[in-house]
Order: sequence, then C-alpha cells, then structure tokens
Amino acid sequence: MKKKTITWIFIGFAVLTGSQIIAQGVDISGFARNYTGFLMNDATEFSIIQNTFNLNFEQRTDKIGFKVNPVLYHYFDRDIDFRLREAYLDAYFPKLDIRIGQQQIIYGKAEGVFITDIVSPKDLSEFLLPDFDEIRMGVTAVKLNYFFGMNNLEAVWVPVFTPTRFAEPGSIWAPKLFVPPLPLLGYSSKEIKPSVENSEVFLRFSRMTSKADFELVAGYHWLDDPALHMTGVIDQTTMKPIGLDAKAEYHRMSMAGGSLSTTLGGFVIRTEAAYNHGRYFQTSDPLATDGTAKKDYLHYMIGLDYTLKGVKLSAQFIQEFIADYEEGINQEEFENTMTFLAAKDFFREKVWLELFAYAGLNKGDALIRPKISYAFADGFDLQMGANLFTGDREGRFGQYKDNSMIYWKIKYSF
Amino acid sequence: MKTIQFLLLSVLVILTGTIQVSAQMSGKEIMEAVYHNPTGDDVQGQLEMRLINKQGNTRVRELQRYIKTENNVEKTIMFFLNPADVRNTSFMNWSYSDGRDDDQWIYLPALKRIKRISSDSKSDYFMGSDFTYDDMGDRHPDDDKHTLVKEEVLEGQNCYVVESVSKDPSYMYSKTITWVMKDNYLGLKREFYDEDGRLLKILRIKDFKKISGYWVILHTEMHNIQKDHRTEIIFSEILINKGIPASKFTERSMTMGK
Repeated sequence: MKKKTITWIFIGFAVLTGSQIIAQGVDISGFARNYTGFLMNDATEFSIIQNTFNLNFEQRTDKIGFKVNPVLYHYFDRDIDFRLREAYLDAYFPKLDIRIGQQQIIYGKAEGVFITDIVSPKDLSEFLLPDFDEIRMGVTAVKLNYFFGMNNLEAVWVPVFTPTRFAEPGSIWAPKLFVPPLPLLGYSSKEIKPSVENSEVFLRFSRMTSKADFELVAGYHWLDDPALHMTGVIDQTTMKPIGLDAKAEYHRMSMAGGSLSTTLGGFVIRTEAAYNHGRYFQTSDPLATDGTAKKDYLHYMIGLDYTLKGVKLSAQFIQEFIADYEEGINQEEFENTMTFLAAKDFFREKVWLELFAYAGLNKGDALIRPKISYAFADGFDLQMGANLFTGDREGRFGQYKDNSMIYWKIKYSF
Repeated sequence: MKTIQFLLLSVLVILTGTIQVSAQMSGKEIMEAVYHNPTGDDVQGQLEMRLINKQGNTRVRELQRYIKTENNVEKTIMFFLNPADVRNTSFMNWSYSDGRDDDQWIYLPALKRIKRISSDSKSDYFMGSDFTYDDMGDRHPDDDKHTLVKEEVLEGQNCYVVESVSKDPSYMYSKTITWVMKDNYLGLKREFYDEDGRLLKILRIKDFKKISGYWVILHTEMHNIQKDHRTEIIFSEILINKGIPASKFTERSMTMGK
C-alpha cells in the first residue's frame, strides 16, 4: 500500500509539475521500457516481465545544478519497486565542483567488472544482467572535485553505508548458499548505523594527457558484501558441537589502486588494479576463528580494445589474488576471469550486433550474452538477446546454469 | 604558312597557360592553402546532421561543437543534444599539426565514464552519417600527393581542381578530387573514389559566408552515390574568437555536458 501511494505521488508529481518545470528550463529526459524474458529450459516460464519508467529532471546553470532520477519498476509478480537512483544538488566554482546528495560515483577503466569501482554499491538482484547504470546504486555522499589543468582531485565522503542488494530468497538469482558443516541454529546480521565514525571516505586523482589517462584512488570503506561469521553451539550435556550460530557482519576495509589507459597503434590498452586490505573470506578450516580468514587481496585487470573492419573488439583478463593464502578458504588463491566483446553496427547505426561474454577460467564456466538491437526510429529501440550460463555449477556463472534465458527489450527514450 | 602560325600560336597559348598554372600554385600549395585557411583561434556553433536515405526518410542528429587551436593543437569537443538516447554523450578530439595520431575520448553518460578510443578507426562513419571521422577532420596535406588537374568554373566560382592520392596505400579512398575556390581557398566540391577507383561519394558546399572576418562553411552535403544516401550538415549559431577557455576541453567539461 505504501509503495502504491509513493507511486501515485510520483506520477502525480511528474504530471502536475511537468509543464511548470519545462517552463523553468528544466531538462526532462528518460525512457520507458518493457523487458520480457523466458527461461530456456522451460519456455512456458517467464524469467522476468519488467516495465520500467525512468525519469531525469536536470538543470544546470553556470553556478548551480540539480538532478533527480526516480525510477519505477513494475513486475507482474511483485509490488511496484520505486527507486531514487540519483537526487543531488551541484554548486560550481571556478575550479571546484561540489555535489551533495544521492549519486552514482564510478571509478576505473575496467568494463563489466568492479575493481577500484567500489563507491557505488551493486544491485545484484538480477545478477550482472541489468545495464551497468542500473546495477550501480546511488549513495548519499558529498563529493568535491578540484580541477587544475587536465588534473582532477576528487574527495568523497559517504556518511550512510549502503550494502550490496542481493536477490530475495527464492529468486532464481539468489546466490548459491554456503553449506555449513553443521546445521545452522541461529542467524543474525549486524547493520552499520549511520554516524560520522561509520562513514566512508574516498580520494581520487585523475589526469588526462595526450600520452595516457590515469587515476589513482584510495578508500577507507565498508565492504559492501557481508562476511558470515559462525560459532559452534555446544550441547552442554555431551559437550559436543550440535550446530552453528551464524552472524552476517560488514567489515571495514582499505583500498589503494589505480587505472591507466593509453593507445598503441590502433590498440587501446587499459589496466586497473586495487590492493584491498583486510577482507574476511569464508573458510572450512576447523581451526579458523568463527569460520573466516582475514586476508589482503589484489584485484587487477589488463584489457585491449581494437577495431577490425568496423568490428569493435575488446578483451580483458582479470585476476583476484589472495595474499598469504590458506587451505580451506572458499575462493581459490588465484581466481581468473576473462571478458570478450565484439560489436558492429549496420545500416548506419540502425542495427547493432553484439556479443559479450564472461569466462571463469578456474571453473570453466561462462556467461555468454549475444544480442541484436534495431533502432527503428530515433529513440525507439528493439532489442533481442540471450543470457547463456554454462559450465561448472560451482562457478560464479555456472551456478545459474538453469537460468539461461532469451529476452526482448523495447525501449523508448525521450 | 597560316597553318604553321596557328599551330605555333596554339602551342604558345598552351605552354603559356601551363606556365601560368605552374607559376601560380602547385596542387600541394593549393591544398596547403586550404589547410591553412584562417579559421580563427576558436569557433563554436550548433551542428544539425540530416541523414536522408534513398526513400527520402530523414533522421536528425544535433550537436554543439567547440574548436580551439592552441600551441599547434586543434582541440574539438562535441556535445550530443539529440536524439534522446545519445543526449549528454560527448566526444573530444585533439589533433596535432606535427602529424601525430589524434587523441580521442568519448563520455558515455549511462556509464558515467570517459573512455579513450583509438583514432585509428578513421574510416568509421560518424553517428551513422555519410561522413567518416577522417572526412570530419582536416586532413594534413602532407598525407597525400597532390596534382593540379585543371582549372574550371563551377557554380559560378573559379576553381582549381586538385587530385589527391594518399601516400598510405591502405587508405580508404584511392583518390579524391577537390574543387578549390580561387577567391577564398574553400573546397567547393570533393569527389571520393573507393579502393577500386569507383566514385563513392560527393561532398558539396551549399552555403558559406564570411563571419567575423573568416570564411565559414554553413551547409554541406555528402552524397554516397553507391548507396544513394545523403547527409546534410548545417552549422548555425556560429561564434568566432569569443575566447573559449582551455577548460572547455577537459574531463570536467566532458562529464558536465556543456
């Protein structure tokens, strides 16, 4: 009921104030979209029917600006989902920009993977399938950008922690559950209360030059994914373990890294790396305290882009390395992934063919995403595609092997 | 005797004409004059691209463009205004007079990220138009071998006709032929020939005028003869030498969309 009320308030606001806003020079844009998907192993079952209405209200003058981006998701089998992706105010000074409010903040040069790009948390309620601007959630933050020459120094303060949004239990996109060696007798989770002490800070320095573009970043933050701490429950009479008590907890981390892109002949070379200090990994080591091991880990990517006879090609190699590795940790010491992209347009950008794929090299699993888009009028786009999960069910992509789907999207941008 | 006199006179006229052409300018000098035609330190304005297929259906793209030359680097930034699905996208190009490859970046608002792209793909078509990225830029005269073919009057304008063949055998055009107006060294017409030597496209300047003391092309049309598809570019709201700040060609400007 509450969501319906919000929805009607939203629609009413949009309609009633639309003309006034236009009169004041506010730019209104957005899109309406239908997204329908079928599971391939059961053509009678929809994997998704989603109608989306995305609105952008935006205005910028020389000194101030604002943006509000409400989004409505309507599903046939769920309540209407209203989200405010962004809602911020800007102030512009000769060399300084200040942005306050809900905003998406994007770092790095990797595509489809998140290495230094850790400020905006992810919405994984449909795994990695939505468009990337929809996967990244806005965070309430204060962002300062100081510009000098081709340099940009950015400081971000996030007073309110926002965790990763996972799929609801029962959803086909719910991540594979960790199977404890003993029955779970209790489960609790610890939330991070908004306070100055609990806030997150990030710093970024970026520079564009004719030779290369680079970024240096650092962050003191909360890992957006919780670690599951488990303690044994002992039968007081037999003094034997009879189960486990689980507690999902978010932890502080620090990260330092950077990214670089440059050209070499017809190639664009991209690279990005982050060193993360103090991440808790799940472990089956019986000697480990509460079933976790705290480790540093390195996450990096090397990518190449090239255009061959009008076909845009891109490949990335991504590695996650856990330092001081111990047997029993539920992730391998080296976790290797590759991504591939091939895209070409036809008929003067009216038809696009694209193939994007993630390949998990450790488990031999993959997510393969072919699609074709047809822009049959300006702003009107019809898309058909497939999300094909394959390989080992233990892998990040193979776990969704039963969720391979075909879909269409019809989108009108205005 | 009269026949001999006529022949001698004819030879003299031809030789004199040839000498006059040679003495005037070579093909290379003409194309250098075109390249170095003063354009002001900076130019800004709105571009409307009309993509017209053989059925006459028209698609329209609108951009705001800023160009500034500073320290032998020509910097261009374009903000895409329409259609809606590309709005707020921006594209920046730095072109170097020393012949270095251009630097190019694109900002995609959905990804909120500036991406460096290779300028090697100059044969790609710009926004689905009949103009390649190479056609949109100023090709350096040293990249081609130029020959003055003839002089003729085209659309009431006295023109040099210059044939240009790329020094790079893999270049997308086997040759181009340019009609250069003698009065102002603006190209009035250019024919583009494909790798097989067949006429591919014709570029026509439909309107031009002097603004703030500089010749400016206001309306061009590129006609792909082989596909019978046309693209018109109309340049309006032109301002020259208004002192576009260097900060217009930065990360900040690309992400702001203005």
